[in-house]
Amino acid sequence: MARVAVVQIPGVNCEYETARALEAVGLTARIVRWNEPASVWSEFDAFVIPGGFAFQDRIRAGAIAAKLPAVDRIAAEAERGKPVLGICNGAQVLVEAGLVPGFHPGKVEMALAPNRAPRREGYLCRWSWLAANPGPGSEWYANVRPGQVIPMPIAHGEGRFLTADPEVLERIESERLVLYRFVTPEGGPASGYPHDPNGAMLQAAGITNRAGNILAFMPHPERASWLRQVPLELKNVWGESRRAAVGNWEALEGPGPGRIVFESLASKLLSRAAEKARP
Amino acid sequence: MSAVLLVGLKITDLSAWTALETGRRLLDPGHTLARIAREQLLTFEPEPGGKAETFERALGEAVRQSNFFVNPNKERHRFLTSAERGESWAPPDGAWGILSRVREDTRDDGLKARLLREHPMPGLGAIRRAKVWWIWSRGSDGTPATSYFRATLGELQDQKHGLLVNPHAETAMLLHGATPWSRVERFLIEPAPAFRAAA
Repeated sequence: MARVAVVQIPGVNCEYETARALEAVGLTARIVRWNEPASVWSEFDAFVIPGGFAFQDRIRAGAIAAKLPAVDRIAAEAERGKPVLGICNGAQVLVEAGLVPGFHPGKVEMALAPNRAPRREGYLCRWSWLAANPGPGSEWYANVRPGQVIPMPIAHGEGRFLTADPEVLERIESERLVLYRFVTPEGGPASGYPHDPNGAMLQAAGITNRAGNILAFMPHPERASWLRQVPLELKNVWGESRRAAVGNWEALEGPGPGRIVFESLASKLLSRAAEKARP
Repeated sequence: MSAVLLVGLKITDLSAWTALETGRRLLDPGHTLARIAREQLLTFEPEPGGKAETFERALGEAVRQSNFFVNPNKERHRFLTSAERGESWAPPDGAWGILSRVREDTRDDGLKARLLREHPMPGLGAIRRAKVWWIWSRGSDGTPATSYFRATLGELQDQKHGLLVNPHAETAMLLHGATPWSRVERFLIEPAPAFRAAA
């Protein structure tokens, strides 16, 4: 069974629910502290850097964690093709470490800047609407049908994907690295708050590297992995399912919309293991 | 000419402390980093054609009374009128600085709206924000080695180079010796220069 390291950097606070969400899709998850010996990292098939406030977001979110030896080791494992998913603060770490978009490996080509929307500032905590776009990361993290709208919660103050380098922006778009975008509840283009909640370039909610195995993802799929986590008032099929499940514990324990991210990862890891096992 | 407010923590600044600890790990042998301190810079411009004197007295009172500029339990501040600030900004003894601002418009219209709700202040134009990191450094030759330390601690390039400024979201200028306030004001007002990718 594929083993996933959920990386516990001082200040992250979503490691346990992230591990539970990984276990729910059949993966073996282990919470691994950032200062484990170098030899530990190669034992894992995949890595998840969960959300939270690594090093209290001192200087900038992700800035200090990006310089940890553990991140160097994870980068080396990613170079060998292993998947790395950074959720929220984990995404900030991956961007600050230069792993996404990674056109020039190691170079920092992007920022996750403070949210910027007219008459809104600071921390955002709300449900958003996402659509997946076909790209190199689709098989790893977005095995969804075209046009599917996926509700998922966001909770961040610095979640605005931004690059000052026009060439990087052009390549992100032309090489289809924006795997998830913010959209309207109907799946249309998001323009302005609340559907484009933070003002990110290209309405990006998640950006991958060119190989597709590293995803910097601002929403929290682990907070939407069970139907019971979906708000009753949500206006789409997920909300309807949630309302219909009131009082039915078995139904509430069913999958939520965010599980697709972990299911995609599990499916790809299993198919890759099967390929490797083939004589 | 703007009035100026500088705000820093009087309790331990954990961001500055962490910058110091992380920065030391990025240095080559022979270079030492003695201290890093951080301040927020706010400038208060007069309306076009006006003078800061028209609102500075009321602003000084507002800074003392309002709870959204300074929390006296944990912060210290220096409020300098356009006359008090002088022509240039000198770093603290033995330090040099990296002044950083967002690449977008530096105006804080939300802060201005909150201020004017409580303290009507005719003549006040834009309020702008920036952040300054004061650095006490010594290179292998005994000088502050600002070029080396800026490359190592300033604009982020990769995992081993840069820390305090992410150039995709911010732009920075060096404060070495007395820097004319007019230069600082231009840095805050003018659009950020185009990004140049590091070779």
